[in-house]
Order: sequence, then structure tokens, then C-alpha cells
Amino acid sequence: MEQDSVIHIDQLSKIYTVNEREAGLVAAMRSLVKRKTRAVQAVDSISFSVNEGEIVGFLGPNGAGKTTTLKMLSGLLHPTGGSATVLGFRPWERNRDYLRRMTLVMGQRNQLLWDIPVIDTFELNRAVYRIPEPQFRLAVDELTDLLDLEPLLQKPTRNLSLGERMKCEIAAALLHRPSVLFLDEPTIGLDVTMQRRIRQFITDYNMRTGATVLLTSHYMADVEALCKRVIVIHHGKLLYDGELRGLADRFAPFKTVEVELRNGVRGLPLAQYGELMAHSEGRVTLRIPKAETASVTGRLLAELDVSDLTVQDPPIEDVIEHVFNQSPDPLDHPDRQRPPSE
Amino acid sequence: MFYFRLFATYVRVGILGELEYRANFWINMIQSALDLSVALGGLAVVFSHTDTLGGWRPEELLALIGVYFLIGGLIRTIIRPSMTQFMDQVRQGTLDFTLTKPADSQVLVSIQRIEIWRLVDVLIALPVLATALVRLGTRLGLVETAVFAVTLLCGGLIVYSFWLMLSTCAFWFVKVENIQVIFMSMWQAGRWPVSIYPAWLRSVLTFLVPVAFATTVPASAVSGRITTSTLLGTIALAAALLLVSRWFWRVGIRFYSGASA
Repeated sequence: MEQDSVIHIDQLSKIYTVNEREAGLVAAMRSLVKRKTRAVQAVDSISFSVNEGEIVGFLGPNGAGKTTTLKMLSGLLHPTGGSATVLGFRPWERNRDYLRRMTLVMGQRNQLLWDIPVIDTFELNRAVYRIPEPQFRLAVDELTDLLDLEPLLQKPTRNLSLGERMKCEIAAALLHRPSVLFLDEPTIGLDVTMQRRIRQFITDYNMRTGATVLLTSHYMADVEALCKRVIVIHHGKLLYDGELRGLADRFAPFKTVEVELRNGVRGLPLAQYGELMAHSEGRVTLRIPKAETASVTGRLLAELDVSDLTVQDPPIEDVIEHVFNQSPDPLDHPDRQRPPSE
Repeated sequence: MFYFRLFATYVRVGILGELEYRANFWINMIQSALDLSVALGGLAVVFSHTDTLGGWRPEELLALIGVYFLIGGLIRTIIRPSMTQFMDQVRQGTLDFTLTKPADSQVLVSIQRIEIWRLVDVLIALPVLATALVRLGTRLGLVETAVFAVTLLCGGLIVYSFWLMLSTCAFWFVKVENIQVIFMSMWQAGRWPVSIYPAWLRSVLTFLVPVAFATTVPASAVSGRITTSTLLGTIALAAALLLVSRWFWRVGIRFYSGASA
């Protein structure tokens, strides 16, 4: 089972020690001498495996422990407990052969040097990764092609727009053709077109190289377009690991029913069928408990003049929001707080 | 070999980056010229009153000023900008990118930024040193040249190791820029031979902040006043500091990945 799993983590945990300080000058002075600390469990014994070539979406609200997990997998953090192997390496040993085969992209942080043309940062990475010249040319050409970098390469980073910079960041991170990609919010802050562009690129790269991708994003469009499989964590605990489609079945106790009415909606007692989510001239969207879907649709068809009716899973955004809002009960963990990284 | 090539790439990139700000060249030029005038002026004033200072003759002090500018130039070109950038990286979290690179993180951090215009100090140092040597009339044989080169190298390494240790503190305290300021002001004291200072300050400059080894020792090598024991001591100290700073760096990295986020 583990033979083609590229990422395998087992009971992985991370507890941070954070400094605490009350507000005020006196407290600040006191903390110079004696610091109060407390433990924050950012990741709480999570386990999963990812197979070669998979693109897995890693979901969770801010502070859920996504970035912490990615940092452990990319060798930046030592776990407090549990184990993890990526490509057969223990990441935090930072074996050079491992580092040469993986990459980390953080949407909120830059590795491109500010003052020099993009191509020169590429050149630096070539030296650091010891990429042979022909292979480097090939990689640059390919990435230039896929990401439309041609007009950007000679410009200093500071002259690039956010989206252009992100494209170059991603290219810089892929010059050494890593086979494992950790992408932390790669589309954050980008406009819709650029997001789609990056998404398309990730798919292309995955197809071409068979690379394994673990990605976090707050944009459900990213996840829906890229990931068949998602892993959801909340308060450091694993909540769900499986197909994206299954998420709704599992967590959303309701369906969305869209009804088109021939004679308009005016005056109809629609609220008795379910929770009214939206309505316009002849069209109504209702949220109906899953168990009642059949009976309610029956009643709708029998009692109203319906021209069209569709039953759908709720939009994935709603499901996710629902998941994060309900469980696990935050009151179970009064000492939880966001880890400092997020 | 790999790290040499890496260094060459950083130098190239440094030049490219600095070319973007050409005014810096002239500013540095003026600054260095002023520094040198002040140094030489100080020398002239002192020796209008006396023939020797703490046992040092004018030519020897000129050599010291040459060494002071040479090492100072290297500090300002590589060590200070790289270490400053490192502290920024710790604060902003971009050090993560350095740590995911398949190369020695200490080396990457230490050569990552090169302010090429600061080499002006080095360029200024060379004629000053040459003048001093001619005035001294010492023939630099093979041995003397080698000893001078070794002391220079050791002086550079000592300053580098010391600075690295100060910077490594950033892993725990995040903001340690002020330590650099303190170091640079101590460094100014290296313009004069440490033997002229009172004993307590001499000890500080020798053992606490090893400025003496970076300036006084190489300068005494060039004027032929260095003793074998000083030479060996300098080499030993350089080696020891290099090892200790490397160990400390590792501890810092382990702390960074163990406790911080």
C-alpha cells in the first residue's frame, strides 16, 4: 500500500510554545525578565498518504494547521510527535537529495530578488540547485511557454504586478523539476483570470511531469478545478480525507433545490417547503434537509406549477463553511489559538 | 568548487543589482574618500607632536590604516549586507526559502548579498598599503608576504565568525540590528593600534570584540613586528571561532525549526 505513496504521514503532531504577554507597559517590562509561555497544539496527530501524481487539496480555516503541516513536510519544522516520509526521506533531516526533489511555494512570501531581473534570480537558483546548463535552458523555455513569461524575464521583480510576480515565483520554484510540490496559497490575491492561469499551469505541470502536489487554497474554485481529493483539517485535527464530491454527502445535511415556476413566485408560501436561499421572478432556490428531499420535491411538483426542478449538492463553499462552523466544538479546546505562522 | 561558483554567481547578481542604483557608487566614493582623509589627517596631527605612538612609527600606522580599510571594505561589501539581509529574512519568514535549498544554509546566508560599490574601500586600501610598504623600506619576502596574507585571512575570518554569531542571535531575539551598530563603532577603534589603549579597553578589543586581530595583527605582520606566538594564536583563534560560530549557527537553525513558526 505504501509502495507508491510519495507522502506518508502518521500521527504527525506539532506543539508550539508561544510567548504570552498581557497588554501594558508593566507587563512588557516583566516579560523582559520572565516570559510566560504556553503550548499551542497546531497539528494534532494527523495521518494520511498521497500517491504519486496526485493533486490533493489541503483545506482548513486560518490557523487550522495547514501551513504548519506543509512546513514540516518541506523540512522547515521538526514535528513534536509522529512521523512523516516524503519520497522516502524524513523531511526535517533536510537531506540534500530530498531538497533537490521538492519545492515549496508560498503565495504570501517572495523568493525573487527585488532589484534584479527575474532571469537572474533563475540563474541563482540554477547555481544553487546545480542544474546543468542545457537542462536549465529547457526548463526556462518550457516555463516561459506555459506561463507567458517572455516579456517579464528581463524586468526587475519590483516592476512586476502581483500576478506577474507570482507566475515568476512559481517558475523559479520549478526550475529544478521537483517531483513533489507544496503550494501554500499559490493564487492568493490574484485576479480571477490569473488564478485560472495558475490553475491551468498546475494541471499541465502535473500531467507533464507526474509530480505530486499538495496545495492549500482559500479559493474553492482552485480546489474544484484541481483536486479530486481533499483533506480537511480543523483545529489541527483531520476531519475528512476523501473525494471532493464526498465532502457534501458527508458534511452537508441538506440539498439545494432550484425550482422554476411558470406563474412567478409572488404570494406563494414558499417558506413552508424549506429554507429560502434566493428567489427572483420565476426562480426559487431552497435549502432542504437531505432526508426530506424526496418528499419535499414531491410536494413542490404536486402543489405548484413547476416548469423545471433541479436537486443539487450545495456549493462547495457552503459545505466547507458549514464544516468549519460546526465541528469540532471549539469549547473542547479553550487553550487553542492560531499558531504564530498564520 | 561548487561554493566558489555559487559565490561567483552572487557577485554577478550583486553587480547587476547595484548597477540599478548607480548613485550609490558616487556616494560611497565620497564617503570613503572622506574617511581616508580623516584617518590620514589624524595621523598627521598625532605625528606633528610625537615621533612614535605606542611604539608605532608613522609608516607602520599608515600600514594599519591600509589594513583597516581593506578588512573594513570586505565587511561592508559582503558580511554586513548579507547578515542584514539574513535578519530581515528571519523577521519576514523568507529564510524558509533559504532553508529549503539543497546547499549549506550558512554559506548561502553569508554570501547572499554583495554591495559591490563598497569595494571602493578595498581599492583605496591598496595604494595606502603600498605607500606604507615603500616608506617602511621593508622587503616583503616570500615568508613575510605569506605571514601577512595568513593574518589578513585570519582577521577576516575572525570578524566574519564573530558577526555570524551576533546575527545568529536573531533566531531567538528576531531584532538584533543594534548589535551591528555596536560592532561597527567598536570597529572604528581598530583604526589605531590596540597597544595605545588602556589595558581594559585593549582586552575588550582583543577578546570581547576581536577587532585587534583584524587590524593590529596584520599591520604588525607587515611591519615585521609580529611574534610567532601572536601568529599562531591568531590562527588558532580564527579556527576556533569559525568552529564555534558554525556550531552556534546549527543550534540556531535547530531552534528555528523546533520552536518558531
